[in-house]
Amino acid sequence: MLLELRDIAVNYGQVSALRRLSMSVPDGAIVTIIGGNGAGKTTTLRAMSGLAKLAAGEILFEGERIDTLPADRIVARGIAHVPEGRRIFPDMTVEENLRTGAFLRRDKAGVESDLDKVYHRFPRLKERRTQRAQTMSGGEQQMLAIGRALMARPKLLLMDEPSMGLAPVIVEEIARIIEEINADGVPVVLVEQNAGLALDLASHAYVLETGNLALEGPAHELHDNEHVRAAYLGV
Amino acid sequence: MLEILAQTGFNALYAASYISLVAVGLVLIFGVMGVVNFAHGELFMAGAYAVVALYADLHMPFLVAVGIGLAFVGLLGLLMERALFRPLRDNPLGGLVASIGFLMILQSLAVMGFGVRMEHIPPVTQDVIAFSEKVRLPVARLYVIIAAVVLLSALWFFLKRTRFGWALRASAQDPEAAALQGISINQTARIAMFIGAGLAGVAGALTAPLVSVNPFMGHSVIITAFIVIIVGGVGSLEGAIIASVAYAFIHTVVTTFWDGVLADIVGLMLMLIVLIVRPTGLMGSADRA
Ligand SMILES: Nc1ncnc2c1ncn2[C@@H]1O[C@H](COP(=O)(O)OP(=O)(O)OP(=O)(O)O)[C@@H](O)[C@H]1O
Ligand SMILES: [Mg+2]
Repeated sequence: MLLELRDIAVNYGQVSALRRLSMSVPDGAIVTIIGGNGAGKTTTLRAMSGLAKLAAGEILFEGERIDTLPADRIVARGIAHVPEGRRIFPDMTVEENLRTGAFLRRDKAGVESDLDKVYHRFPRLKERRTQRAQTMSGGEQQMLAIGRALMARPKLLLMDEPSMGLAPVIVEEIARIIEEINADGVPVVLVEQNAGLALDLASHAYVLETGNLALEGPAHELHDNEHVRAAYLGV
Repeated sequence: MLEILAQTGFNALYAASYISLVAVGLVLIFGVMGVVNFAHGELFMAGAYAVVALYADLHMPFLVAVGIGLAFVGLLGLLMERALFRPLRDNPLGGLVASIGFLMILQSLAVMGFGVRMEHIPPVTQDVIAFSEKVRLPVARLYVIIAAVVLLSALWFFLKRTRFGWALRASAQDPEAAALQGISINQTARIAMFIGAGLAGVAGALTAPLVSVNPFMGHSVIITAFIVIIVGGVGSLEGAIIASVAYAFIHTVVTTFWDGVLADIVGLMLMLIVLIVRPTGLMGSADRA
């Protein structure tokens, strides 16, 4: 397993956000976490990337514990996180944002070639390379956030609701990009409220309900599951 | 008339130079760490006393004393980061209160070490550049102006062109997102504290021979501190730096052409206008959660 969560729990003060959650991400896969508002999806990703500290349990990446590391050390291990709400650096230009994603890398030539790749994948970003990130549209900002994460050349990509607030055409484009990234060999953990989209992309899925794991299984099986269809697919 | 204008212009330029150094350090610390460092004036004072001890008392060369002063006050900044601000990181008011405590400690140490007398330091140079009978620029003041220009340019270059400068800007805009790029918050906090404190120290050290050094000389910095932070806003470090340099200039121009009380009033008015028109600060744009 590339990533393993073992019985993790996360609390915010007195509030328990996750209770005894176990999950595993095999190398190469797209794994999705779906669930309603406040189910704990974001918290799960934040635990993986070290932004949320565990109250119990452990997280292993490539067989080693990472839950005791600060967030910046976890990036160094190879996990990149596209956070909820994009969180691009508003006062930096597009290119500065992208280069910041490569902050830990010392291979200059590799960084330049990855920058070219990101611009190739997102031509819109190239057109706007000197524009302040703040002034871009929501879809462009999402592409920038994804591009920034790719600049770290991650071994695992975490994405929190990349489709949020975007027009259907843009959502399609983002979905295609996620597939491409995965086809290039980067495993992805995808958090989505758009369950239909997530189950189409993923090979394996976890369903969270108020901090507990409600269901898990191959994505196509969950797609046909009565409960999932009623609660998340609206059919 | 033109001559008075030129002379006052020189005076304003000199005052703005060292106030800018102090103000810029303060906004740097606020931008990166989110704490208002109330002890900033006392860091300025500590730099001045470094020159009293090393240059006036121990007769070291002036520039050596200034260099050691910068390093010493920078280290005080690192101490504050480690001992006060880091443990209180999740407590915005805690950092402010702790810095007030530290201010009092530094003042007491200065009183214990040097007494409350005013220190008058032998001038570094008596040379004066005389443009005319009435327009004269003491070389000692010119040094301060040059030092400020050089240091602020260096800081600008650092923020815009170096890896750690980028890291500082990124953490000022969004500390959590910065951590997700592999930027260590502890490291950017250390860098901001060292540079911010060091700039205050170097301003105190450079001006020590030109003012009367005393343990309470840092007081007047506090009001400047507040105004600059509000005018500068949060988010863009470059914006905050431009705003604080601009403020230092306006304040000193009003002080030199009219008087200090009016300058404070003008400063506070500017602050209120900025607060009404742009609550996030003049240059700040990122709203920091
Ligand atoms: N900083 C916080 N402080 C206190 N409680 C929090 C905090 N962040 C999240 N929570 C709580 O933890 C629970 C899980 O939140 P989380 O953000 O992980 O949900 P989510 O599944 O991502 O929801 P959404 O789909 O709305 O983004 C919620 O009950 C939420 O109110
Ligand atoms: Mg969420």
